[in-house]
Amino acid sequence: MAALAAVLPSWPEAAEQTRGAVVRGRVELPRVQVTSERRPVSAELGEGPERDAGEWRRAIVYFETAPKGAFEDREAGRARMDQRNETFVPHLLAITVGTTVDFPNNDRTYHNVFSLSKGQRFDLGRYGVGHSKAVRFDHPGVVRVFCDIHSHMNAFILVFNHRFFNITDPDGSYEIDGVPPGTYTLVAWIEGAIRDTKSVTVGADQRVVEADFPLK
Amino acid sequence: VREVTVSRLLLGLFLCVLLVDSAHAQGWPDSTTSFAGGRVTLGGELTATVSPDDDGKFNYTDYERSALQLIRLGVTINVRPVEGIAFITELRAEGSSDGGSWNGIPVAAYLRVRPWRRHAFDIQAGRIPPVFGVGGRHIYSSDNVLIGYPLAWQYLTVMRPDAIPANADELIYARSYGWQPGYSVGSDGYANGVPLATAFRYDTGVEARVGEETGAVSVAAAFTAGTVSSPGARSSNGGPQFSTRVAVRPATGLILGGSYANGTFIANTVQDTLPASVANGRYAQQTFGADAEYSKGYWLFRSELVSARWTLPVLGAPPIDNPLWATGASAEGRYRLMPGVTLGARFDHLWFNDQSGTYLTLPWDAPVSRIEAGVSWSAMRHVILRASVQHDTRTRGDVKSATLPAAQVTLWF
Repeated sequence: MAALAAVLPSWPEAAEQTRGAVVRGRVELPRVQVTSERRPVSAELGEGPERDAGEWRRAIVYFETAPKGAFEDREAGRARMDQRNETFVPHLLAITVGTTVDFPNNDRTYHNVFSLSKGQRFDLGRYGVGHSKAVRFDHPGVVRVFCDIHSHMNAFILVFNHRFFNITDPDGSYEIDGVPPGTYTLVAWIEGAIRDTKSVTVGADQRVVEADFPLK
Repeated sequence: VREVTVSRLLLGLFLCVLLVDSAHAQGWPDSTTSFAGGRVTLGGELTATVSPDDDGKFNYTDYERSALQLIRLGVTINVRPVEGIAFITELRAEGSSDGGSWNGIPVAAYLRVRPWRRHAFDIQAGRIPPVFGVGGRHIYSSDNVLIGYPLAWQYLTVMRPDAIPANADELIYARSYGWQPGYSVGSDGYANGVPLATAFRYDTGVEARVGEETGAVSVAAAFTAGTVSSPGARSSNGGPQFSTRVAVRPATGLILGGSYANGTFIANTVQDTLPASVANGRYAQQTFGADAEYSKGYWLFRSELVSARWTLPVLGAPPIDNPLWATGASAEGRYRLMPGVTLGARFDHLWFNDQSGTYLTLPWDAPVSRIEAGVSWSAMRHVILRASVQHDTRTRGDVKSATLPAAQVTLWF
């Protein structure tokens, strides 16, 4: 029994190893708002309904190569992308494969959510205020989401086959926890494009690894 | 030369915006192209259509162009220097895939003012979109599955503002030659007639609207220089047109509209040649419209009725029996078959009231029917491919029926 105790780490140590390290930092975001202006059309008889400007840009930071075993560690959950004020809220959603996303219409008008992205083509048809439809995302990749009625409405859904990703706060800061020791490629992604990549090494004893992405 | 230059400039602008935007977004741009913190926005559409020759001129939009052979490039710019004020300009160049000349025109150029931010009341002044009906505001291919247009908004009748028939025989004789009728009073020679209301040109004037497009009720009214069938930069007769439209949305997805327009139709160049007994008359076009749209899920239905009533001076025997009525009705349905693929079909008919000539009593223009079915496919969001087949029939003319396939590609941003 004493021999076994010598081989196995103590409980707290085991928990720390399971939890892994935190990779955190800040992505310097361009000081530009998401362009959510309406597409100009000369045939309108007046201004469209008043609406707020789009939210600040956010980035997604993710591991290009996930730790071994990460693919078995997936939780198929549920997420939500709202339609409000002729805008998808949030503009950027990151989920794992198998997640079902609800698209409730909480606006004053009809919407028709669709995507022509190769990994996930769907069209939810027109539905009114107070109704919702859902899509299950079964393939990793970038899914562009649009409204067939309001051409200025657009959003991104990034589907990962591991859990090592996170969306930054509005100030660009991010945190990915539970990272086991190893060397990884970290990617900062903004509005449809990979901004930067960075190699990070998480040591066996490290609790926190810092990785910033300055504006280039 | 100037028109060709304008067209080239527009094409250059279109391509520049696409290239700059594509480079910025590292791909085809998905958001609206904007500058100056969203105060300047740009939109554009390039549409090219090919079809066999339309010998019956069923789809002609003027003397030399068919809607099924149209190449159209439009760029719309919205500049909002301050909150509540916007300048909207649309530059459009049109040519034919069959060759021929190009023209480049500012289709729209107007000022929009929203005096109170929280109240849905807008005033637009300049070269403004038509208040009457809906067909004139649905001409862009991104809003249509089919390639052809509703007859009431495109088919050229034998009515002309700059030349009129001296009697009922002359009018009846011109039947079915709407792309080039010629009359003995007014302008010499042949020129195209007008549709009941045109989808291809905007009028000049002032418009006000209360209520928003998505609200329960909206009312718009305008005073413009031309008429719904013959709008223009300036009046050809000094008589303004009043037009109005009321739209209600009684249920989700349902829009019902009613429209009316009344304006002096015949040009001063005709009025000045009239004998004293009829020279002081008001020869107007009154137009009535009703429209409905319902959509739900993967379905959309649209229907529109446009009825025009022209009054012409009575000059000789056999007399023209005023008013001259023309009514167009269309019904359209669409179904989204799968993401990016939409099927659509429209049935359309145009009929005219009878006129009594010396020997015959006939509709004053030849009634026309059109049925069109098509499919549109968006392989990419900003590229739309369409194919359609249209069958037109007419009771008179050198060509009484035609079946016209057409294909179209649209790029938009």
